[in-house]
Amino acid sequence: MSSKRIPRLGVGGPVGSGKTMLIERIVPILAARGYKVGIISNDVVSKEDAERMRRHLAKEMGIVPEELVIGVATGGCPHTAIREDPSMNLAIVEELESKYPYLDLIVIESGGDNITTTFSPALADYFIYIVDVSAGDKYPRKRGLGIETCDLLVINKVDLAPYVGADLSIMERDARIVRGSKPFVFVNCKTGEGIDKVVEHVIRDVLFEAPPKPISR
Amino acid sequence: MSTDTDVDAREKSSNDSSSISSKVRSSADGKSNDGMTCAMSVEDISMMQLADSFFPTGMYTTSNGLEMFFYNKRVKSAEHLKSLLAVFLKQQIGPADCVALGNAYQAAGESNLARLVEIDNMLFSMRLIKEIREASVRSGIQLIRCLNHIVSNRKADSSSSSSNNNYSILESYDDAVRSKKANGVYPVALAVACNVFSIPKPKAGLILLYSFSISVIGAALRLGMLNHFQGQMIVDDLKPLMVTVVKENIDKPLSSMWQFAPEIDIVQMMHERLATKMFIT
Repeated sequence: MSSKRIPRLGVGGPVGSGKTMLIERIVPILAARGYKVGIISNDVVSKEDAERMRRHLAKEMGIVPEELVIGVATGGCPHTAIREDPSMNLAIVEELESKYPYLDLIVIESGGDNITTTFSPALADYFIYIVDVSAGDKYPRKRGLGIETCDLLVINKVDLAPYVGADLSIMERDARIVRGSKPFVFVNCKTGEGIDKVVEHVIRDVLFEAPPKPISR
Repeated sequence: MSTDTDVDAREKSSNDSSSISSKVRSSADGKSNDGMTCAMSVEDISMMQLADSFFPTGMYTTSNGLEMFFYNKRVKSAEHLKSLLAVFLKQQIGPADCVALGNAYQAAGESNLARLVEIDNMLFSMRLIKEIREASVRSGIQLIRCLNHIVSNRKADSSSSSSNNNYSILESYDDAVRSKKANGVYPVALAVACNVFSIPKPKAGLILLYSFSISVIGAALRLGMLNHFQGQMIVDDLKPLMVTVVKENIDKPLSSMWQFAPEIDIVQMMHERLATKMFIT
């Protein structure tokens, strides 16, 4: 009884950078295009993010079944849970693959600072790292595994730039220097600005533009 | 199965790393620099590998209720933690998990899948707390997954003489778990793993107790209950108890399996319902 592997998207970023809201923005667009998504949320001290997504995406919008938003306690080690020992996440991914083979994508969210955050290649096929401008326009320049190695760097809260003295052109310049040809996107998760570009990357680079699987529950 | 030869001599005999890995993957004797002979084997390293918190079983995500004991101020010091761990070992892990492990080890050695499945189901039914039950199963299954990778790698080593009979029971048990005939509880998965690695049964018992203790002490460190020196002192203090508990339980028949730690059960149930927590119960 082997289940087929479902593409996995890792979303990492510092606390408060907008990971949960990014997922809340991209999932409805994917759902509108017929893609079915399961979500695993790694939290440091609670399942609040998972509960919020369950409330928003399942109960209010009705686009993801409640049982497909799963919170994982990480024993205070969110980096470990997605990097050197992703066992608990892998176990849940395998359970999702077995129970819901019709899913097109599994999103795995985890908090983590920019210096050390990476996803185990055994866990995520594609890794989005999200930062926000309120942490300062020095963020991309400071480098770190998350910013340098992620497949897509998302820079959130662009609307706050003038209020926190962040220069977006500096962030853009430094992101190019640090990441070379790897992509980055400026977004505002609050308004939805730039989210389409993130979704384009997901459909092209994670789903390889495959059509949604037929629904058979 | 394997012949005792000198590790150094064999390593010098070939520069081929895969050849070395296959040849050395058997018992060996070494001689220390001071002339004292000490038994040294690849199985010992395998034991360290499985007991190491670096081995990916996700056990660090579980506090076994310690987080709730901590919030309730029922466990406040290193001394309290040591006492709690002693209760765990004597009242739960020893008489239940260790007995299951010993019997599963025997069954795996005899390639008796039906017996392995029976033990798995029995121990699963004794895990009263849902989150603990699920965490044990997830750790066990991931242990089996990791082992599958290791065995595949060994098989791919063409010069390997590692036609280990225990690989087939690993495959059968994995199939039983995938087809939901077995659950994949950690102690039974560990018994299979120790068979694959040719780790002796009593040492398999020590891995079980040690890994459990380390996961709880690690949780205590992350909760800020104690410092790293205190953690290591607890490990050191518990060593004689671990040995005693394994000796008392590892050869017991399956029918003698029991556990009784009602306060721990109740606290784990309370922990399971906490809205804000760092650990899976």
